Amino acid sequence: MNIVVALKQVPDLQQIRIRNRQPIFDDVPLTLGNIDKNALEAGVQIKEAQGGKVIALSAGDENIEDTIKEALAAGADEAYLVIDDQLKDAESSLVAKVLAAAIKNIEDVDLILFGEGSADNYSGQVGPRVAELLGLPQVAFASSIEVNGNTVKVTRSLEDCSEVVEVNLPAVITVLSDINEARIPSVTQILKAGKKPKEVVELDDLKVELPDQSPVKTISNLAPDSQRKKVVVKSVDELVKALEAEGVIGR
Amino acid sequence: MDFNLSKEQLMIQQMAREFAEKYIEPVAEQIERENKIPEDILKGLAELELFGIPYPEEYGGAGGGYDGYVLAMEQLARASGGVAMTISAHCLALSAISAFGTEEQKKKFMTPCCKGEQIASFAFTEPATGSDPKQLATTAVKDGDYYILNGTKRFISNANWPGVIVIFAVDNETNKPTAFLVDKWCEGYSISEPWDKMGMHGGQLLDVYLKDVKVPAENVLAGPGMGYPILQLGISFGKVGVSSTALGGILAAYEEGLRYAKEKMHRDKPITKFQSIQLKIADMAIKYEAARWLTYRLGMLANNVKDPRQFAKEAALTKTFVCDTMVEVARLSIDIHGSYGLMNDYKVSRIYRDAIIGPQIEGVADMQKMIVAGVTLAE
Repeated sequence: MNIVVALKQVPDLQQIRIRNRQPIFDDVPLTLGNIDKNALEAGVQIKEAQGGKVIALSAGDENIEDTIKEALAAGADEAYLVIDDQLKDAESSLVAKVLAAAIKNIEDVDLILFGEGSADNYSGQVGPRVAELLGLPQVAFASSIEVNGNTVKVTRSLEDCSEVVEVNLPAVITVLSDINEARIPSVTQILKAGKKPKEVVELDDLKVELPDQSPVKTISNLAPDSQRKKVVVKSVDELVKALEAEGVIGR
Repeated sequence: MDFNLSKEQLMIQQMAREFAEKYIEPVAEQIERENKIPEDILKGLAELELFGIPYPEEYGGAGGGYDGYVLAMEQLARASGGVAMTISAHCLALSAISAFGTEEQKKKFMTPCCKGEQIASFAFTEPATGSDPKQLATTAVKDGDYYILNGTKRFISNANWPGVIVIFAVDNETNKPTAFLVDKWCEGYSISEPWDKMGMHGGQLLDVYLKDVKVPAENVLAGPGMGYPILQLGISFGKVGVSSTALGGILAAYEEGLRYAKEKMHRDKPITKFQSIQLKIADMAIKYEAARWLTYRLGMLANNVKDPRQFAKEAALTKTFVCDTMVEVARLSIDIHGSYGLMNDYKVSRIYRDAIIGPQIEGVADMQKMIVAGVTLAE
């Protein structure tokens, strides 16, 4: 069973500083998004149970050659990378176009996994868009995945309920962060990651052209303006009432 | 000159940090209380190959070099000094075997230890030796193809776990210190209760009693009478671990102080608004950065030791500076905490107790300075 897991390179969110409500990206190391790591873990667990291989797919600037080692250390067998400077910060519809073209180039794909949203922009669009472009069934917000032959049974955790659906393979599934706990790679898995097979292609190889101007412009990206409320309470009762009034407790 | 870490180095650092935050930090107080590392933590460390980072794969190691070792150890020590101390003492023994052992000795004794199935010990200190090899009282008497060892070893890390112990004894043929590779728990081997020490709990120190311990002659490390060079180089490698352990303690003290200063309010303002607190934060930042780069550099130097004397100097100066700095930064962090820092509810009180251990172990600070001066004056 060949499983493609799409992973996005993002700045390490733990290390981003905020100045004047603007994120500062200088010298922030690049990493893979946490939910993407859950998608990878789901793929690796399916591979361990069913056999086959996990292909880590990513599109971005040249730094992804290094960043993808995180996925190769954590159980991916090989990597397929689309590298182009235009892909740095490319918006969701363009990334989906590139990834769909890349998946068409990978042989015998049975399952395509995404995180439900990326760690930085969290648009949640790329997985469903890729499914649409490839004409494949898609299931979003998976909290469990069970492969049975040519079908897959997926539990979707929604706000008020759980839904169990079954789809035929190949299919696209986006996973929630609580689907699993991503494994921590060992030292030798880390050191051997760079030696695993890796195919690097450019946009021209995929015959994908990106527009000169992105159809979506980010006008501003500001951290929430948080102000202390400066509420003074004189007793525990008052504190409890204030917290209830804020809806923090007692809901 | 490139001060950037490679992707692999960053990943090793991140891996150890993630394990430490997820699994060690939640039980750090338990380790402190019980002076014991839970089995599942030891198992997790073994699975991630953290017991054998710097050693070659053919001896069960991970091949991550001492540069990978210092990065991982810093992160483990940030959560628990005792956990890092256990690995540091273990690697002190393994580094000595790695540097001086025969192929057979390395395969036999290093492999289970690197895999974390066993934990190694290094036994030089005795009740009356201090750091002076001429005062060794443990004896090794040649008897055919064996040596018979008798004596008492003091403050020995990891003596309670199965695995190899490097024992220094004066053999009756050369009348010089000789190092022997001995399986702990062999006949004639016994231990005391752990010492009730003030810090680094979890990293237990015990006395080891040797009564007519029979050791095959093939277990002599590097030949009879070679104990002193083994001690000198082994301890230098040991200081890589001790320095990384102290570095993690500095980071923890720094982070605790910084967080407390941001959260503690005085007259409606966090105490970071006060210049006296700002100066302490600056001092902690300066000291952490200085200690960090010195320790990372020592890790790189340990990967390729060309001149053991020069390496001894580098290890001694790094260990002295970083361990002393941990005491200073822990104190600064306590000062930021004020009275709260004295309370055992606050992590910084544990870090302070851990900090005071560093300058006293694997050669006291003054001894290190004598090594630095001795090599410098001979240059």
